[in-house]
Amino acid sequence: MTDLAHLAALAPLLALAGAFVNGLFGRNLKEPAPGIIASVAVAAGFVLSLIAFFGVAGSGEAVRVGFGDFLRAGDFTLSLGFHLDQLSVLMMLIITGVGLLIHVYSIGYMHGDPGYSRYFAQLNLFVASMLVLVMADSFVLMFIGWEGVGVCSFLLIGFWYHDLANASAGRKAFIVNRVGDVGFLLAMFLTFKVFGSLDIQTVSAMAPTMLYGSAVLTGIGLLYLLAAAGKSAQLPLHVWLPDAMAGPTPVSALIHAATMVTAGVYLIARTSAVYAVAPAALATVAWVGVLTALVAAIAAVGQTDIKRILAYSTISQVGFMIAAVGAGAYWAGIFHVLTHAFFKALLFLGAGSVIHALGGEQDVRKMGGLGRRMRVTGTTALIATLAIAGVPFLSGFFSKDSIVVATFTSGALAGAGGEVLYALLMVTAGITAFYMFRWYYLVFAGEERLERGVSEKVHESPSVMTVPLTILAIGSVLVGYLGLPSFLADNRIAAWLGHATAAGEFSHPSVATEWLLLIASVVVAFIGLGLGYWVYAVGKGALAKRLGNAPIAGASRGAFGFDILYRALFVDTGAGTAEAVTLLDREVVDRGLVGLSGVVPLIGGLLRRWQSGQVRAYAFAMLVGAACLVAAAAIVGVLK
Amino acid sequence: MTPVFTILVPLVTAALVLLLRNSTLLMRVVALAGAVATLVLAVLLPGSRPFSAEWLPGFGVSFSVDGNGAASVLVFAVALMMIPALLVALTRVEKGAAGFAALLLAAEAGLAGIFMARDLIVFYVFWEATLVPGLLLLGLYGGEKRREATTKYLVYAVTGSFFMLVSILALKTLSGAASFDVIDLMLVTPDLSVATQTWLFVGLALGMAVKLPIWPLHSWLVDLNEQNHPSGAADVLGSLYKVGAFGFFAWGIPLLPAGASRVAPILIALAAVTALYGAFGAIGSKHLKRFLAYGSLSHMGIIGVGIFGMHLAGLNGAMYFLAAQMVSTGGLFLVGGMLYHRRRSFDLADYGGIAKSAPALAALGLLTIFAFIGVPGLSNFPGEFMSLMGAFQNAPWPAAIATLAVIAAGVYGVNLYQRVFQGPSDVRVKDLDGLEMYVLLPVVVGVLWFGVMSAPQMQRIEAQSQLTTLQLERVAASGASAPGALGLSAPPMGETLTLGGAK
Repeated sequence: MTDLAHLAALAPLLALAGAFVNGLFGRNLKEPAPGIIASVAVAAGFVLSLIAFFGVAGSGEAVRVGFGDFLRAGDFTLSLGFHLDQLSVLMMLIITGVGLLIHVYSIGYMHGDPGYSRYFAQLNLFVASMLVLVMADSFVLMFIGWEGVGVCSFLLIGFWYHDLANASAGRKAFIVNRVGDVGFLLAMFLTFKVFGSLDIQTVSAMAPTMLYGSAVLTGIGLLYLLAAAGKSAQLPLHVWLPDAMAGPTPVSALIHAATMVTAGVYLIARTSAVYAVAPAALATVAWVGVLTALVAAIAAVGQTDIKRILAYSTISQVGFMIAAVGAGAYWAGIFHVLTHAFFKALLFLGAGSVIHALGGEQDVRKMGGLGRRMRVTGTTALIATLAIAGVPFLSGFFSKDSIVVATFTSGALAGAGGEVLYALLMVTAGITAFYMFRWYYLVFAGEERLERGVSEKVHESPSVMTVPLTILAIGSVLVGYLGLPSFLADNRIAAWLGHATAAGEFSHPSVATEWLLLIASVVVAFIGLGLGYWVYAVGKGALAKRLGNAPIAGASRGAFGFDILYRALFVDTGAGTAEAVTLLDREVVDRGLVGLSGVVPLIGGLLRRWQSGQVRAYAFAMLVGAACLVAAAAIVGVLK
Repeated sequence: MTPVFTILVPLVTAALVLLLRNSTLLMRVVALAGAVATLVLAVLLPGSRPFSAEWLPGFGVSFSVDGNGAASVLVFAVALMMIPALLVALTRVEKGAAGFAALLLAAEAGLAGIFMARDLIVFYVFWEATLVPGLLLLGLYGGEKRREATTKYLVYAVTGSFFMLVSILALKTLSGAASFDVIDLMLVTPDLSVATQTWLFVGLALGMAVKLPIWPLHSWLVDLNEQNHPSGAADVLGSLYKVGAFGFFAWGIPLLPAGASRVAPILIALAAVTALYGAFGAIGSKHLKRFLAYGSLSHMGIIGVGIFGMHLAGLNGAMYFLAAQMVSTGGLFLVGGMLYHRRRSFDLADYGGIAKSAPALAALGLLTIFAFIGVPGLSNFPGEFMSLMGAFQNAPWPAAIATLAVIAAGVYGVNLYQRVFQGPSDVRVKDLDGLEMYVLLPVVVGVLWFGVMSAPQMQRIEAQSQLTTLQLERVAASGASAPGALGLSAPPMGETLTLGGAK
């Protein structure tokens, strides 16, 4: 099986090939051929990922596939290759598995769009880049995938580019991501300075021999965190994700929920060996994750766009994952990546199904009662809502609980406010249950508030869209059982990922305490759901209206004003600087240095006198001048 | 003889093109055949035998050229981009296309000479001679304000060159070198006193900094690009008039390592400023060609950071970047020419939404823009990455500041794409025609080739970079002026004084 696992190297190439076929010839193909080509490419990738999975599972050993050299300087050679271990094959399965379902769904969703083949070309290119990102054996190759997914994200957010608002949303995502990318670049420069290598396995093997807690290691950890914050939309770089909802909804599901935004979690899990010797950086990771989770959850409560609510929810949920890796519970972070990939992709695709049925309406205040008219969409969305809310026996419950408990028992956070982080995450979990109930109730339950003329058109989506919804719903229920609390049963996913990441330190409280923590999680989830029921189902939202003028409600609607702040701080000053530079160039550098210095005007004057209206004279004069200089020097040489 | 032919073939072709200017078809065929032949020769350069012939024996000058080392990569980039530039020149220049093509070919010969020269006087002669076709292209075929732009370019170049020439002549006299040959000079010039080296280096640096170009000596570049022929063909080769970095790399630093180490902190700071200044200039530009000139200036700043960081990785990266940027920058100037051909304007406000009517142009434009802003997998990334990483090892702060240009590049890159190609499609234009496809084909090939196949080319550059680091290590060993840890090991002296060519 190990030999067969090498075949997995073909997975990104197949997706790339699909992108090329659709990109070059797609316009000559009839619908749904481009969608089928793209889906087949991803399906093949899924099969190859399964083969790699069983190969790694069978031998327990990582598989390396090398391609050739890329960069070199002296003793330093950087070759490109894939490193397939427990962590990367799991990510490959998520990317190609969920990716395949979303490709199939898109065949229905993008029906009739003039950019049909362009859409599938870009979606395939994304899958290829994302696979490279998780399969890479070096930071440089990972960065190639990292920027590649950023490029695809830019293209797909601005997919309907005729509307400048969509194009600008793509632009914003790309630029904010580039801030994170600079963090990634500087992290690599510093890694090379400290370790002399950019190979991830080499660096991981050397890290334990480094000076524990030294400033450079902390620096490396913080720079990779900056990179992760950009790609995973964490504070303070989270502002691009809500705008990214301008893209087609399946794109939001695949890129901005299930896969790309979890790349930061993957990066930190992948470099866990470095973080293991940089405790201050690790604690910062946890704090960034928890604060992001809280802030975004509060913001989600105040949104009225069906997709923007989910966008803030995604930022918040990725915050949970970042908090997990920050606590040293790398497996819990990746576990939540897995469960979240199912239920959040399902929520987005459900939202897409609704938008599709309502002919483009996205305002939840103009929805309601749709669960009765769209049975499959409504039921699957309910399952996903309960899963993300943390209702027991569904996937989100297990993964979220493992994160919350990890912040409580983490040795890494023991001196860094672990208890505070635990409390904040519990509050956030409650808010999550509340805003998700609100989302579900306003869209699918209660009375219909549809605009006139829309109601007659409401219909359940075709089966090419509902079948993926059903499969994702089944996953949203079941995948959680891979990671049952270890005091109850074997935790398969923790054992699996333990081979590929550093081991975090955790205290082991008594079984009674474990039960208590578990029950607390359940209680919080039901409090959140209950409050939601009370406010929106019983009170018909009257309380929400009455509280609408409170400062916290305004902050929630405006998502704490980050956009306004950044506009003032960076966008306006950046534009001002750019104008200042062009002005400075015209007025000062040109005139100042050419005009004011003594020598240059002299030469300029001489030349001007020589000027006979022919530009050739300039060139001639220069040659004569140069010749005179050479001659003078030659005479000096002879005399000497 | 390969290196000599790489210079002679384009020169002879230029002469033939001028002679045949009255029979359009034959002239076109000859011009393209010459360019293709030069490309073949350029591909054959690695491993070719160096050439040397006596020229002015009394003055210690011999005509020595060697196509190995960085030259093999740089000359290849020139020869590759010559083909689309010629195609455009022969079809889109209305009056005097033959003259235009001949000047392009002459410039190609001059650039090849600069990169391959192994004698300092030969280097200087090519350095100055290459100015002439550039000036004539601007002066004869340029836009309305071509006279001002030409004067400005000339004044900057000549002033800088004057100081450079003085340094060159003093170099041999003061050091007592046997000849102007690079090996003869390198054996003795590092033994000059630190003060002497510093003064001589400053003289060389004045000439080279103008042509890097480095802030605040850069403003000729923006006007040159703005006023050059709108087809962009002249700018393709123009994007390699920025040969200053090569001068520092091949001559300035290895000949005067102690002086270079003294001045490098100032130069690397200026280069970092250049990287950011150029990027902001691009963000603030509304004229497409000025925009590209500023973006390219930002790249030159990063190249400068790579050079003055004086680390092997940075030197490799800077030279690789210099070659690779020619493809993406030249490609964008050609795309700009195609846009001008459709709308007769370089004002970005006159564009918008044309991806709808010209999807192929938009796709290739986007690819080239992404290459231009250093997206990995495309041409500019390997060099940019190595320049900054190498410099970071010796000078973390200037390198980190220059790295911020990556964010600004994201801003100007997507701004450009959005302004031209996205938005409501009020502007309708023709998509790429067959000729334009052929023009952009070498650009696409080059963008991917330089983006992916970097290791073998970096290895060839490294043979020459190691000469430079070796010279710096000699200084460090003698304790004259330690430039800090040079890090990566270099083989012993005797083995490294060749660039790997056949003996």
